Amino acid sequence: MSRFDGPDAPYWEALEDGRLMLPRCSACQTWIWPAAHRCGACHADDVQWVEMPLEATVFTWTRTWHRFGLTEDFELPFTTVLAEIAHCGIRLLGNLEDPDRVDPEIGQRLTGTIGSTRTPDGELPVINWSRV
Amino acid sequence: MTHPLYGSTAIAGVGLRQHKRGHSPLPERSLLVEAVIDACEDAGFDPADVDGFVSYGDDKNEPVRLMPELGTKELRWSASVWGGGGGGIAGAFGVAAGAILSGQAKAVVIFRALVEGASGRMSAAVMAHHLNDHLLATGMTSPAQLCALRANRLFHHHGVDPAIVEDLVRASYHHGSRNPEAVSYGKEFDIDALRQSRMIAEPFRLFDCSRENDGAGALLMVSADLAETLAKPPVYMLGCAQGAQAGWGDLLENDDEALFATAGMRSIARRLYEETRLTPADIDVVQLYENFDAQGVMSLIDHGFCTYENAAEVIRFDNLIADGGALPVNTSGGNLAQGFIHGIGLPIEAVRQLRGESSNPVPGARTCLLAGGPGAPTVSSAIFANEVL
Ligand SMILES: [Zn+2]
Repeated sequence: MSRFDGPDAPYWEALEDGRLMLPRCSACQTWIWPAAHRCGACHADDVQWVEMPLEATVFTWTRTWHRFGLTEDFELPFTTVLAEIAHCGIRLLGNLEDPDRVDPEIGQRLTGTIGSTRTPDGELPVINWSRV
Repeated sequence: MTHPLYGSTAIAGVGLRQHKRGHSPLPERSLLVEAVIDACEDAGFDPADVDGFVSYGDDKNEPVRLMPELGTKELRWSASVWGGGGGGIAGAFGVAAGAILSGQAKAVVIFRALVEGASGRMSAAVMAHHLNDHLLATGMTSPAQLCALRANRLFHHHGVDPAIVEDLVRASYHHGSRNPEAVSYGKEFDIDALRQSRMIAEPFRLFDCSRENDGAGALLMVSADLAETLAKPPVYMLGCAQGAQAGWGDLLENDDEALFATAGMRSIARRLYEETRLTPADIDVVQLYENFDAQGVMSLIDHGFCTYENAAEVIRFDNLIADGGALPVNTSGGNLAQGFIHGIGLPIEAVRQLRGESSNPVPGARTCLLAGGPGAPTVSSAIFANEVL
């Protein structure tokens, strides 16, 4: 299954287009992630995709030093954040600019740009975060 | 009313074959067949009469393929608990008991086999189960990295002292050093080996991570009545719970905030204690699945042995060892120091411990908690005992 076949296809299409779009239930306004075609809170099936600014806070993080398979495009070590997107609470994994290897702090504010990762199956869009 | 699972089934035999990764003398299925035969011999039960099989963690050995070598007369039940990791290990016993108690099978083997040549690296297989483009795009391609995210939240948000894991690791190696079957047998463990081992994914160093072995393990489960007629004293299952609570699961790291830095096992533990009418204070020894040491800490917290606040008072070396500890954990060495065949060594040690056969006997132990793979989307735990309390 490609990423354009799943319920989060609009997320990937938007990200390739340089925008962050996230899904919300039109009926009860609950943010839905992982993406789904129906709201589990109120069972409405009207999901609306909303463009969000690339603003977030650090929910947690790790810095990878071991060369795991399929990380060949990353220079070791690399730092990953689980970023809580502002105004909606959805958490997304992203890369953190960390040239001086300064440990991130939970709650620290982030601003993002959209880049890409080379994988064996082609390029994948990804959010690159930096600390405000 | 007593819960239907309470003391109604028992483990009658166990078999374990463990080798260094890449060094199994037999192919994977052959090794598994040997482990099943060992378990049957242990019980004094004819392997041909085993009529059910249950596994977990995407084991590749469909039970029907074992029939010719075991001489199986008729296969009546085969099932697997969902999930790519070790989350389903304890749940497998509940599935087996379900078959036995409903009359669908009489003698069920719970098993897991893993030989690198046949199944590849286990960590890679677990990851293949979970991999998606969100993970690929960020280079988060291993269980270690995903568990590291939770560990950092445990330490940096919930304030648990990161040094706490050292006591769990030391206790594991202490037990392993006295277990002739353990990879760490006869070895003195120096905590500096952990502190100086290479960094994998912060906060995890190499020795914070379980490392894989080739091997196979099998446990024969039958009704309590049948077990009482077999060769070894029965080890009864008192309860088993599997599943996930709302807000936990396969959620792209979007678990409820209050559950994020847990093993995902709070609802499992709650149900297990309710259904057995036991409490953490009734548990004499714990076989704790620790894929990573911090996840083991979270599992102990979820199972009610301590809290974020007092974890450092409870998770202490002296308290975790068989010789005098109030909470003896992983008395064979566990996944860290005995060896890691996707956790199947843990229930086998639970049985040995309750029979008095452990290399690290806990004097007077009557009950043993098997805490399954922490942090997996589907998780499970079970309680065993050498008498029906
Ligand atoms: Zn809704």
